[in-house]
Amino acid sequence: MKKELIELRVNGRNYEVAVEPSALLLDVLRQELELTGPKRGCDDSSCGACTVLVDGVAMMSCTLLAASCEGQEITTIEGVSEHGSLAAIQKAYGDWGGAQCGYCTPGFIMTVKSLLAENPDPSEKDIRNALSSNLCRCTGYNQMYEAIRSAIAAERQGLVTVK
Amino acid sequence: MSKDFSIIGKPTAMVDAAEKTTGAGKYTDDLSAPGMLVGKILHSPYPHARIKNIDTSRAEKLEGVVAVVVGKDAPKTYGILPVGHDEYPLALDKVRYVGDNVACVVATSEAIAEKALELIDADYEVLPAYFDPEESMKAESDLIHDHKPHNLEKDYHHVFGDPDKGFAEADEIVEARFIANEVTHAAMEPHSTLASFETDPHTGKPGRLTVWSSTQVPYYLQHKLSLVLDMPMAQIRVIKPLVGGGFGGKSEVIPLEIIAAVAARKAQAPVKITYTREEVFWAHRGRPRTIVDLKTGVKNDGRITAVKARVVQDGGAYCSYGVVTILYSGALLGALYDIPNIQYDGYRVLTNKPACGAMRGHGTVNVRFAFESQLDELAAKIGMDPAEIRQSNLLQPPCITVNGLRVQSYGLPECIEKTVARSGWNDRKGKLPKGRGLGIACSHYVSGAANSIIRSDMPHSTVNIKIDRDGGVVVYTGASEIGQGSDTMTAQIAAETLGCSLPRVRVIAADTDLTPIDIGSYSSRVTFMAGNATLRAAQEVKQLIAAAAAKKMDCAPEDLIFRNDTVERTNGHAGMAAVGRPAEQNSAATVSGRVEGQILRGSLQQKRKDEGPKDQMTFEEAVVAAIDFHGALTGTGSYAPPPEARGGKHKGAGVGPSPAYSYSAQVAEVSVDEDTGEVTVHKVWAAHDCGRALNPVSVEGQIIGSVWMGMGQALTEEMVWKDGMLMNPGLLEYRSPSSVESPEVEPIIVESIDPEGPFGAKECSEGSLAATIPAIANAIYDAVGVRLHESPFTPERVLAAIRAKKNVKALNLTEGIDPTAPQRFREHGGSLWFKGKGPERHPLDPSRREVSAGGAD
Amino acid sequence: MSLPEFHLLRPRTVEEALGNLAKHKGEIRVLAGGTDLIPSMRQKLFEPQYVLDLRGISTLRGVTPRSDGGVEIGALTTIRTIERSDFLREHYPVLSEAAATVASPVLRNMGTIGGNICLDTRCLWYNQSLPWRKGCGFCIKKDGDLCHVAPGGTKCWAAFSGDTPPALLCLNAEIEIASADGTRRIPLADFYTGLGDTYRKLQSHELVTRVFLPASSAGYRGVYRKLRVRGSIDYPLAGVAVVMKRSNGHVTDARVGITAVNPAPLLVKGAASLLAGKAVDENLAETVGDLAARIGKPLTTSALTPEYRREMIRVFTKRAILAAAAN
Repeated sequence: MKKELIELRVNGRNYEVAVEPSALLLDVLRQELELTGPKRGCDDSSCGACTVLVDGVAMMSCTLLAASCEGQEITTIEGVSEHGSLAAIQKAYGDWGGAQCGYCTPGFIMTVKSLLAENPDPSEKDIRNALSSNLCRCTGYNQMYEAIRSAIAAERQGLVTVK
Repeated sequence: MSKDFSIIGKPTAMVDAAEKTTGAGKYTDDLSAPGMLVGKILHSPYPHARIKNIDTSRAEKLEGVVAVVVGKDAPKTYGILPVGHDEYPLALDKVRYVGDNVACVVATSEAIAEKALELIDADYEVLPAYFDPEESMKAESDLIHDHKPHNLEKDYHHVFGDPDKGFAEADEIVEARFIANEVTHAAMEPHSTLASFETDPHTGKPGRLTVWSSTQVPYYLQHKLSLVLDMPMAQIRVIKPLVGGGFGGKSEVIPLEIIAAVAARKAQAPVKITYTREEVFWAHRGRPRTIVDLKTGVKNDGRITAVKARVVQDGGAYCSYGVVTILYSGALLGALYDIPNIQYDGYRVLTNKPACGAMRGHGTVNVRFAFESQLDELAAKIGMDPAEIRQSNLLQPPCITVNGLRVQSYGLPECIEKTVARSGWNDRKGKLPKGRGLGIACSHYVSGAANSIIRSDMPHSTVNIKIDRDGGVVVYTGASEIGQGSDTMTAQIAAETLGCSLPRVRVIAADTDLTPIDIGSYSSRVTFMAGNATLRAAQEVKQLIAAAAAKKMDCAPEDLIFRNDTVERTNGHAGMAAVGRPAEQNSAATVSGRVEGQILRGSLQQKRKDEGPKDQMTFEEAVVAAIDFHGALTGTGSYAPPPEARGGKHKGAGVGPSPAYSYSAQVAEVSVDEDTGEVTVHKVWAAHDCGRALNPVSVEGQIIGSVWMGMGQALTEEMVWKDGMLMNPGLLEYRSPSSVESPEVEPIIVESIDPEGPFGAKECSEGSLAATIPAIANAIYDAVGVRLHESPFTPERVLAAIRAKKNVKALNLTEGIDPTAPQRFREHGGSLWFKGKGPERHPLDPSRREVSAGGAD
Repeated sequence: MSLPEFHLLRPRTVEEALGNLAKHKGEIRVLAGGTDLIPSMRQKLFEPQYVLDLRGISTLRGVTPRSDGGVEIGALTTIRTIERSDFLREHYPVLSEAAATVASPVLRNMGTIGGNICLDTRCLWYNQSLPWRKGCGFCIKKDGDLCHVAPGGTKCWAAFSGDTPPALLCLNAEIEIASADGTRRIPLADFYTGLGDTYRKLQSHELVTRVFLPASSAGYRGVYRKLRVRGSIDYPLAGVAVVMKRSNGHVTDARVGITAVNPAPLLVKGAASLLAGKAVDENLAETVGDLAARIGKPLTTSALTPEYRREMIRVFTKRAILAAAAN
C-alpha cells in the first residue's frame, strides 16, 4: 500500500513521517523515529509494554494506527526524563527494584505517569488497579508499589523545597 | 546488616537501572544494522508429519523477498546437551510438533515476509501423533525419533538406602498421584536475534559472523552456531544486549538464533528475526507436564523413613534439557531433608508438542509440590504440626546425603523458624475463620551445577579485570545479565574487594570477543561461580596494587586496607572515619577525588615524593603507583566447583550436585470461596537462605518474583492442549497474574554464610519458587479441607474437590479433570475431526483460489 | 504480526462516515477504540480493503442526560468515561459497575461503548493467528465450514463476551443505527441474532451511533458479577447483571442479564415474574439462579469447562440478586 506523509507530535517535537495506512503507532515510534523505549511484548493487546500517553491518557501504541494519532500529543518513555535527569518515578523504580529485566518498565512508568496525573494521592488499591493494565514477569509487582510510594513522597518533598 | 563491608550488603540500584527506566537501554529487537532484512519462519501446521516436498518458488518470486531458507541449507543437528543433538534449525525430513520450523523467508519488510510464507507450498504426509506421555511410552511404530524406542527419551532408576525396609518401619504411609500441568516462562521480551556477516578482507567472501541475541548462554550459542554453520568459533562473535527476562526460556539455543544466521548467510545481508508471542510459546522449553506417583512413609515421631517416586515427564518433541530435568527431579528429593531411603524411577517421554526444557526451579518444582503436599497429609495423619514435621527431618550439615549431595551451609532451620514467627503460625494456624487457611512448605535449589553440561576441565566462569591510570576499573565477564542483577553483583564484588566506590567500576559483559568464557545464566550459578571468579580476579589485581602501594608507604602489603577509594596502613588513622559511611556519600566523594586526581596527578606525586612515606593513598594514587611498578594492571580469576562437590558415582550422578544449596520456607495465607472454588492468596511469608545478601534489594526482588511465579503456576497458568494444538498461545489466554490478584510477599532474608560462596553468598533466584505451590495447596487444605492433586488449582478444580468432599451437587467436569483422582491427560474439549489433513480454506490458499475462481465468494 | 493492507478513511463527521460506509459497503470495517479490531486484524480475521477510523468524530462522544430523565451515550464514549460518570453511577449503577470490569484500565481508556456492544463473538478456535487456524483446518466462523466445539453442528457457538451489554439489556437500552439512508432506533435486545458467526443485525453500511437509557430504568439498584481467572485484562468467562427495584422490602421490578456463555448477551426471561412482589431470600435467589443457568449454554469456546461456567451463572445470579436486595 502506498505510504502517506503524516505529522506526528512526539515528546513535544513534530515529525513528518511516511507511513503505510496500516502502520501501528508502536512500529512507527520504534522503527521510523527510533524511539525504542516502548516495547512489543504480545500481539493481542494484553501486556501493556507498548504503553504511551496520547493527549495525556495511557494507551497501547500497538493497538493504535499511527495515522490515526495525527494531531495528538504523544509521550513516550523517552519524553519522561526531565532536563536530562531522571524523573522521580524513574529514579524510584531503579532504587526500589521496580525494574528487573526492564522490558515492561517503560510501559509501567507511562501507566504510573497517567495515574499520578489524574490522582496525585492514590491509595494502595488505586495503584494496584492502575498497574493491572501491564504485565510484569519478574517482580511480582511488590517492589513497584514501594517505588511509586517513594516517588510520590519525593515529588512532594520537591514541591516543598521549591516553595 | 554487614557492617564490615562498604558495598556488599547495602541496598544498591542496579548498575543498568537508568537504561531500563529511561527506555535508552537496547534489547535485541531495538537494534538495527544497515541493510538489515526481516526474517519470518514458516511453522508446521501438523503435530507429526513427513515432509514430502517444499516448493518455495512462488514465495521467491514475490517482490521484496530476498531469500528463502529451508532445512537443506543447514542440514546439521544440534541440541543443548551433547546427548541430545536431535534438532535441525529447519526441519529436514519430518516435523514433530505444531509450530516446528519448516522454512524461513527473508524480505525487506515484515508484511512482505508474512505474505511470502503463505506462498510456500509444503507437502506433508501426516503421521500418527502422540500427546499423552503414558500413551506415547507404549508406541511401537511411527516413533517421534527413530533412535528412541517407545518414544522414551531417557529413563533412570535409582535406589538409595533400603526403601522396602524404610516403608516396613513406617507407622504411616501415604501414596498418591499428583499432576502438575505444563507452564512456560512467558518472559516479557519475545526472543530476538540479529545476525550479520562481515566480508573477509582476504577472500572477499562472507567472513566473521556477529550475532546479537536475547540469550542467557552466549557461549553455548557461539558453540552451536559453530557446529551448525561449520565455522570456527573464533570466527563467531555473540553479543548479548539487554535481555527482557529469561527464567530458563533463553538458556539454550532457540531455533531462531541459528535460523537467523543461516538466513543472513544465504541472503548476504544482516537478518533480524523476532518471534511473535505465539512463536515464543512454540519455542517453549518450559516446565513439562509431570505425573508424580509418590509414596512416603513416616514414623509417629515425624521422621521420614522412605520415599518412592515415579515421575513421568511429558517432554515434547525434542530432548532439550530433558535428561537433566528428569535427573533433577530425582536428585533433589535429597539435600532438603534427611531422607534415609529413596527409590526413584524417572521417565522423560517424547510427545508431539513443543519441547520442554529448563524453567526456574528446573526439575524440582513439580516433585516438590507432590512431596510437600504429601508431607502435610502425613503430618495430619500422625497429628503433628506441619511446621514441626519439617523440623523433625532436618539434615545435620556438613554432610553428604544418601544420594551423594554435599551440604555445607544449611539455613533451613532458621528459615522455618522465621517464617513461622513472622506469619504468626503458632497463634493463627487452625484458628482462622472458615474458608481461610495457612499452609507451610519448604524448598531448595542448587547454586549452579557442579558439573557442566559439556564435560571438560575448563573453569565454569572466568573474569578479567583491567585498571588503567585513570583509576577506572573495568570488569570483563561472560556472565549474562538477564534482569537478575548479574552485572550489579559483579560490580559490587569488584568494588568491595578493591575497596573502591561502585561508580568507578564498569562491567563489560557477555560479548564473546571481549569477555572470557562463562557458561551462562542458568541453574542459579552466576553469583556463586561468576561471583567467585570476580572475587579472585579482583584479589589478584589488589595484590599488585598492594605491592606497589606498600613500597610507597613503607610497609608490608598485608598491612594495607583498601576501602572507600583509599588505601591505608592498618596503623594509620586518617581514613578510619570513612568506615561505615553510607554508599551515596562515598560515591560523591569519589567523583571529586577523581577529578582532582586527573588534573593534579603529576604535581601531587611530586609533592608526595618530597614528603616521604604516607599513612594513606587515594585509590588512584595507588593504581598509578602499581602501573608504574608493574607496567600494566590486570587480573584474572576463574572458578570451577571443587571435586568434593561433584557428587556420587551412579549413573546420572552428575546432575544434582552443587557447591551450595539455597533453602526456603514459606507460609501462605489463602481464602477459598466455597461456592465458586476461587482461591485468593492474601500473603506469603517467604524466608530464603541465600548465604549472604550481596544486594538486599535484588535478593528480595528475586524472592518475591520466585514466589509470585510459583503462585502463577499454582493458580492461573496452564498450557492447554488439544491434539497437539496449543489452545492458549498468547498472554491474553495464558494467564500470568496481574497486579490485582498478586499478593503481598514478605521476603525474609536468612544468611547462612556459605564457606565457599563469594562473601558467603548462594543463589536467591529460583529456590523459593517450588515451595509456593505446595504452601498454597496446604493452605487450601487448611481452609476448606480438600487436597488438590493437580495444578493449577483453578476454581473449577477446587470447586469440584469441595463438592466431592461434601458429597453434594457433584460438578461433573469434562473427563479427566477430577481433582481428587487425576488419572489421565486432559485436553481442551474440542472436536477431533482435524486429525489428518484439514481442509485448507483460507483465501490465500491456492486450492481455495481455484475452487472459488468461478463463483462469487 | 503485521496488519493486512488497507486504505484508511478518517471522517470528521458522522455524515462523512456514513457516506464512506455506503460507498465501500462489504469491504470496510469500522475502527473505534481498536481494542477488538486491531488484534483481530493481526490474526487476519478481517482483511478489509477499507478501514473507517472514527476517532476523529467528536460528536459521538459523551454522556448526555436528557430532559425526560433518560440519558444518551455517544457510541464513541470510552468505557473509562462511562465508568467514571457520576450521573451514570447515580442513576444507572449497573452500567458503571459492568464498565469498571471491562479488560484493564488502559484498555478502558481506549475501548468504546459502541465497540463493546458490537464486540465480535469469541472462541478459542477462532481468535487465533492465521498459521494457528491453518493447523486446525479453520472453522465455520472464518474460512472453514466445521465447528470444533459442537462437532457435526452447522451452527457457530462463539460466545459474546462483552461486559456492558447484559447491563444495558437490564436497563432496556435502545441503540441508534445510522446509515446514509437514515437512522433507526431499536431495542438492544433485538440487535443480537443468537448465532456466533452473524451475531448482530448490522449491515456493513450501517453504524451504531448512540445508546439510549430510558428514564424508566433509572434508579434501579444494580449489580454486575463477572467470572474471570485474573482480576484484570480477561474477557468474562461468564457474567451476570441484575437490576432491581423494591418497595417495602418487596421486589417491584427486576431483570437479569447474562453474558459470555451464549453467542448473544441475553435477558433471563421469567426472572422478573419469579421475583415480582416477593421479598428476596436465599431460596428465591437460588431459584432465579437455576433459571439463569438453564438459559446459559456455554461450550468449550474459552478457558474453564462449560460445566463450571454454567454453574457460575447459577452462583453469580444468586449472589447478584442477594446483593441487589441487600440494604
